[in-house]
This record gives sequence, structure tokens and C-alpha cells, in this order.
Amino acid sequence: MKQEYNFSRRFFLKTSSALGALAFIPKGVKAFYEEVKNFIVPAKEQIPLKVSINKKSYAIKADTRTTLLDLLREDLNLTGAKKGCDHGQCGACTVHVDGQRVLSCLTLAATLPGKEVTTIEGLANGDQLHPMQEAFIACDGFQCGYCTPGQIMSAVACVKEGHTKSIAEIKEFMSGNLCRCGAYNGIVESIQKVAAQ
Amino acid sequence: MGFFDETFDLMAPNDRRVEGVAKVTGAGKYAAEYKVDGLCHAVLVGSTIAAGTIKNINVDNAKQVSGILDIVTHLNKPLVPGLADEAKIKEARLGLAIFHTDKIFFKGQPIAMVIAETLEDATYAASLITAEYEKTDAHVDFDAALKKVPLTPAGKERGNIETLNKATQTVEAEYNIKAEVHNPMEMHATIAEWKADDKLKLFDKNQGVNSVQRTFAKLFNIPTDNIEVISEFVGGGFGSGLRVWPHALACIMAAKQVKRPVKLMLTRPQMFYSVGYRPAAWQKIKLGANSDGKFVGIHHQAKNGTSVYENFNEGITRVTRLIYHFDNLKTEAATVPLNLSTPTWMRGPGDCTGDFAIESAIDELSYKLNMDPVALRMKNLALDKHPDNGMPWSTNYINECIEKGAQMIGWKDRKPAHSQTIDGDWSIGYGMAVGAWNAGRGNASAGIQMQKDGAIIVQTAMTDIGTGTGVSMQNIAHEQTGISKSKINIELGNSNLPPAPSQGGSNGLSSIGGAVVAAVSALKLKLAGYAAGQNEAYQNAAPADILLSDSGISLKTPNEQFISYAALWEKNNLDVLEVEASSGPGAERQKYAFCSSAAHFCKLRVNRKTGKVKLERMVTVADGGKIISEKAAANQMSGAAVGGIGMALMEEQQTDERLGTLVGNDFAGYHFPVNSDAPIIEVAFVNKPDPNINPQGSKGLGEVGIIGTAAAIANAIYNATGKRLRDLPITPDKVLLG
Repeated sequence: MKQEYNFSRRFFLKTSSALGALAFIPKGVKAFYEEVKNFIVPAKEQIPLKVSINKKSYAIKADTRTTLLDLLREDLNLTGAKKGCDHGQCGACTVHVDGQRVLSCLTLAATLPGKEVTTIEGLANGDQLHPMQEAFIACDGFQCGYCTPGQIMSAVACVKEGHTKSIAEIKEFMSGNLCRCGAYNGIVESIQKVAAQ
Repeated sequence: MGFFDETFDLMAPNDRRVEGVAKVTGAGKYAAEYKVDGLCHAVLVGSTIAAGTIKNINVDNAKQVSGILDIVTHLNKPLVPGLADEAKIKEARLGLAIFHTDKIFFKGQPIAMVIAETLEDATYAASLITAEYEKTDAHVDFDAALKKVPLTPAGKERGNIETLNKATQTVEAEYNIKAEVHNPMEMHATIAEWKADDKLKLFDKNQGVNSVQRTFAKLFNIPTDNIEVISEFVGGGFGSGLRVWPHALACIMAAKQVKRPVKLMLTRPQMFYSVGYRPAAWQKIKLGANSDGKFVGIHHQAKNGTSVYENFNEGITRVTRLIYHFDNLKTEAATVPLNLSTPTWMRGPGDCTGDFAIESAIDELSYKLNMDPVALRMKNLALDKHPDNGMPWSTNYINECIEKGAQMIGWKDRKPAHSQTIDGDWSIGYGMAVGAWNAGRGNASAGIQMQKDGAIIVQTAMTDIGTGTGVSMQNIAHEQTGISKSKINIELGNSNLPPAPSQGGSNGLSSIGGAVVAAVSALKLKLAGYAAGQNEAYQNAAPADILLSDSGISLKTPNEQFISYAALWEKNNLDVLEVEASSGPGAERQKYAFCSSAAHFCKLRVNRKTGKVKLERMVTVADGGKIISEKAAANQMSGAAVGGIGMALMEEQQTDERLGTLVGNDFAGYHFPVNSDAPIIEVAFVNKPDPNINPQGSKGLGEVGIIGTAAAIANAIYNATGKRLRDLPITPDKVLLG
């Protein structure tokens, strides 16, 4: 038999934290709560969201659970930012938020209003590639290309942050962006090239 | 026209990847990135036990989640005809018959699939699914299980292995390597759309669209041509995309179930048990030599892990029969079933593992013999012929790789005895090792479409997983036609294009290169056919006598006879000129043996207090025949060396026998080299064409870049510290305890 419940997520969270805090609640009540919890499926919440991405404004309705990465890839068809782990461990999803490099898979879309997001799609000036994009092609700073947008967004920030004084420093400050093809030679060379300009 | 007598500037500034702009702007579409109307999302739910039977799956809570479309389990799946019964499942050779069994073989095995409107809905619903099982015993500890499996002969014994006992010096040792996981940066993903009951369109991550097409045609009992597979951009593979895996089938089943296009992307943790891995390996080597350094023989025993539902033999002792002359040789192998998913080929499969043990043992022997490891290898290389089948090499320049590498690293600066160079807490050492790979070639087809303005599109179904297939095809087409690179476009990674083999085993460019050459010949003949209508000189002209340019066709002799494309097109009322041609291995395979090879040298420092190993320099020199695109080839080699650093120092899939589970199956728990873990890799090539392997003379490089790297590093650690470490990865604890 199918049971229909429609408790709000807020109710669930409140109940949950209240119960967690009250350690003296008798075992029987806890067991009852566990039982009840099995039937509570929180409804999804959607919120209206105004975001600015690559200097373009979007007014959308977004799931409160949506990350910036999924917003870009699934909702806005901006698939340049890549999903390589969804856990903030690989850097493939790196974008700029207010000019800082940020992992979009660890950023909830709901935190974005009032901020400016720049993705790889917003880096070039029309048909004219950003010098870092140009350098990655010239230095063959990629193979499969999947980590590349994240590498380039990090590389642009790395130059801006001034962490380009030596190969070792570039390598250190680019170590949050994994490349399984191991195209690190070309990535370092690209950054050196742009930093020298 | 001879490909080899033309000189061309390898480092020409326009030697840029054909797909470069698409990759640096984010415009290139990988499997999960296509916009498809009505698309919904599937998420897999894994079993929480490692072995047993599913008794009950509770999906009631999951069904209450808003946006849910359906939940597939083995109880309600849309039946896949090719998996209809036990016999068919066996015949399908898919490995895991996903959702067609109630048996559990490993933890994480998909037991259910949620299909929902959004990824968030599906992910949340998947988290609410629970199951009850009847558990049985499970084993995931390779080291414990391997003792129970007996060895059997792997290939023919050579000479008499007892002769080894008469050798002046012998090394006898065991080597252990932990399982490694491919982990391409793009997680495997599929978008499946049933265009009709018997017509399927797939956007899929793989290394061979035709193989995907054939597999699903068979499973769904529909004509191959009814399945379109698009894999234009592939975010790495390293072997994980060479098989068709169950999750792709699951996605297709989901699309059938909800009658809508469905996207399924594995999560990173799922990547560790869904698309193969390099299995853990145990090896034992007994190697002997006479006092002059001549090898007496080798006894090589090897075991690798596999799953309980499928046998996967790595072929670890294949390389034992490839590089050196051993008059007396015995190889034995076994596979060890575990409650893990099935392993598969990973970059340098088998050889990479076997080579580590052999090259470590040779290094150890060199110290016992008081001989330079370079000299010891040089003395024993099988340069005259393939040591196993006796066929003469078409080309084998492994000795030149070694000489060049030794010169580049400054091998003469190496101290012959260990522990001689100290810098504070650091000990510094040099190491080297070699690797080789039987160089193959498959049948491949390529097509060319030509426009009136002389622009051509060269096409193949072959994927470009990052190796530079596209830019190499462009280079070959440019060399063969004389048409400017700016007028040569490449289309690949689509099953509607001329068929090609999967991109693996260093066979990609070796196979497709010949097809491009053949297609250019076909184009020349077709153009000459039209030209003959205007000028008799073109009648019966051979491709070698026909020259093309950006603007038209001419003949080598007699003096040119130029006709513009525009004139040809006008006169013959042409639209787009299309040709297709195939090419593949032939009689040369009966005459010659083929191999690619590489020598790896490194200089590193080992911290005696912390056990940290830091690579200072890494030099890789390869014999890959003629280098078609030096940038892409060097990138392949340096990238493989980075992979070798991972294998040597950090990569390890840990397991927990008690829980029957993988441990640390994400990038926090499984480390491969980040940028700062690798030095700038120094790469060089012998760059001499192999005149027999294929028309362009190139031998594949993908594997030899990594085969031998780990041994070079382990050998350098010994030179630095006197610690002979035979278990990979060599993590700091092993250095300190060694």
C-alpha cells in the first residue's frame, strides 16, 4: 500500500534537530521517531533565483539542492564547467565567482544572487580567445580536454594571484586541478607564457 | 609519393590540435553534455553487501519523491533479449548481467535504478532505497586469497629452467602491486534515446563506437545500423572505455522503461567499481646471469585478481618474452577470484605489471654482478628478432632509446654504489628501466569529402580520447594531399562515419593512418577520373603520380597538366565528392615482428626522515616509428610518465576484507599525481619510420610511455638509499620501513 505524506523539509529538519538535541528522550520515543522518519519524504523546494553568469542575467526557478555546477550544466546548457568528482576533489568544475576561483560543485546555486559568475564560456572576447586559452592550444596543455576548462580558469586566477614565480610555485598553485592524462608539462608552460606577457 | 622522403616541420606553429578551440572554450560536447528534448535522469543504487542474494528491495519511500518517473530492479526490468536466459547471458559476455540477476557478486553492484525528472530528484530518491539480502561469504583481500590458487603454465617453456641453478648470480624475489583505477577525468556517462522501437541513439563515453554499436545491436536484437553512437569528445579512457559496461545498458533500459531519453552519469565513487581497474598482482621472479652479464634464464610467476563472475587474465608474463633473450624461460600464471567488479585493460595492461618485476630484478642483478644496469641491459636485448616467435623485427630501436636517455639524464654522473649522494636529510639516486609493447594494427576505414573550393573533411568512426588522433589524421592527410591544414577538417567519434577499431593497445593511429592514406589515394583516383575527361594525360594515372593542392589537381609527369577543382566541379556538375577506403595489416605480419619501446630514466631524492620521494628529473625516450605529431606524441609520453609516477609512488585501491568493500574510492582516498607530484618530463623520440607496419611508418606510443616507469623509480630509490622496494606503490611508510 502506498502512503502519501507531505511534510515540509523545514518541519523535518526542525524535528530532526530538536530530537537530536534532546538526549534524554526515552528509547521508545526515539524508536518511534525512527519509524516515523521512514515515512517522511520531504517535498522538494524550488526558489526563484536571479543569477548573473558571464555578464548575462538569468531569472530562474531552482531546486534548493542544486549546485552551481548542476545549474550550469543541467539547467543552462553551459557545459564548459566539468563534473569530475562532484566532491571538490578534482578542480574540473572551477569557475570564477566575483573574480575568485571557486569549485562550482561545492557552491549551492542559492548562494549566487548578487555575485558575478564567470565560466569558461565567458572567458573569450567573442571570437578572440583569452591569452590563456590561446596558450593552452599553443603549448598543447591538454589531451582529452575534460579538465581543461577548470585548468584554464585556475590558471587565469593563478596568474592574477601572482603565483608564477617559478615552475615549482606554478605547480603548487595548480595542484587543485587534477589531470589524469598528465598534461602538466603543457599546463605549466602555458601559465609561464601568459605570466611573461 | 613517399611519405618518408618529405621533410616537414614537426613543430610548425599550426601543428595545433584540430579540436583545440572546442576544448579550451568549453564548446566541445562530451557524452553527458548534449541537449536532448525531454531528457530525464537515472541514478544507480548499489548493493550494500559483497556477496549473496537479494531478498527484498524497498522502493516505497523513493516512489514518494516528487519528480520520480520509475524505479527499475531485477523484478520489473524491461527484458533485454540478449540476456533473456542463463545461456544468453553467458553468450553475451557482458560480464555483469545488470538487473537480470538477484545474485550479488560485489559491493556496489547495481540493484536498482531510479529515473526522475531531475538529477536532484533521482539522487535523493536513490538514497531512500533499501534492500534485504541473504549474505554469503565474501573475499576481497587479494594477498590472502592468492595463496589458494595454483599456477598453471603461461606459454611454452624455453630451454630448461633448471639451467638457472648453474648461473653465477641469481636474483629471486617477490613483487606485489596494488590494484590501480583508470579514473579518467570524465566519469563514464550515457544518454540513451529510443528513436523507434528498434532504433537507438546513444551519446556515450567509450573508446570504440563500433564496439558499442555491435554490443547493443546483439543485446537488443536489432540491426547494427539502427544504433547510432556519438562519442565526439571523450574525456580520457586509459582502457576503461574499451569494454561496454553494464551502466550503459542500464541507461538504455531506463530509456525503454520510461519511453524518454535518459542520461546516466556514474559518480566518482561508482567509477571505482563500474568500469574496470588494473587488478592487484603478485609476481615471483628468478633471474640468473653468467659473470659476463649474459642472462642464463628467467622463471616468472604471476597472479592477478579477477571477479567471481568473470575471468580476467592480465597477461603479465607476455612482456617476459619480448625484450630480452632468455635461452631458458618458464612463465606461469593464475587468476584470483575476488568479490570485486571485473578488472580490465589499463594502460600497458599486463606488460606494465610484468615489466616492473623484470626490470627491478635486472637492476638488482646488476648490483650483484657489479655491472652498470645500462650495460647489462644492452648485453641482453633481443635486437635481432622477436625472442619468442623468432621473426625478425621490422624495426626495434630500443638500444637507441637507452643510449639517448642515458645521455639526456647524465647517467655518467650516477654513482654505481647505492647511498653515495647525500644532501641533508635527502639521499639522491638515479634509476632506469625499459619497456616494450607488441605493436599492432587493425583494419580501419576513413572517408574524405571534398568541396569545390578544395576543402576536405577526413572522417572516421574512431574516437580521439586525447591522444591526438584528429591532429595526426590531419597531418597525414596534409602530407598525402598537399592541401593546406587550414582546409582539412576532421570528423570522428561517430558510428555513422567509416568504421574503425577501438582506440586501445596503442593501435589507434597505427590503424587509422593507413586508412587515411588509402582514402587519399581513392580521392586522387576519383579526381583523376574526372580530370581524364578534360585531359587524356590523367588516364590510368597512379595515385603516386597525382598531385593535389589547395586549388586543383596536377600530374608529376608529364609537366603538371593543372586543372582547377572549380573547373572539374563545373564541367562534371559535381556537388560534394565522397570517397571511402579501408586499410589493414597484411602479409608483412607473416614476415616481421613489430614492437614499440621506450627507455625511462629518473633522478630523484628520498627523505630519510619522512620517506618522501621527490622526482627531480624524468626522461623518457621512445621508439614509436615515425612521429606524426610531435606535440601530441610528446604529450602522450609525458602524460604516461606521470601515470607511471602514480603507479610507483601513490596509486592504490585499498580494500577491507571484513566488510568486503573498497576503501577510499574517491579522489580523497585514491591519489594519482597532481601537478606538483611530477617534474617537467623530458621526452625524446628515435623518430625513425617503420617501413612495414603501416603506410605512415608510425608505431603506437600509448603503452610504452608507462611500461617501465615504475621500475625506473624503484631502481632510483635503491640507488639513493640501498632499499630494494618490491611492492607498489612505494608510499613513505614503505620507504621508512624498507
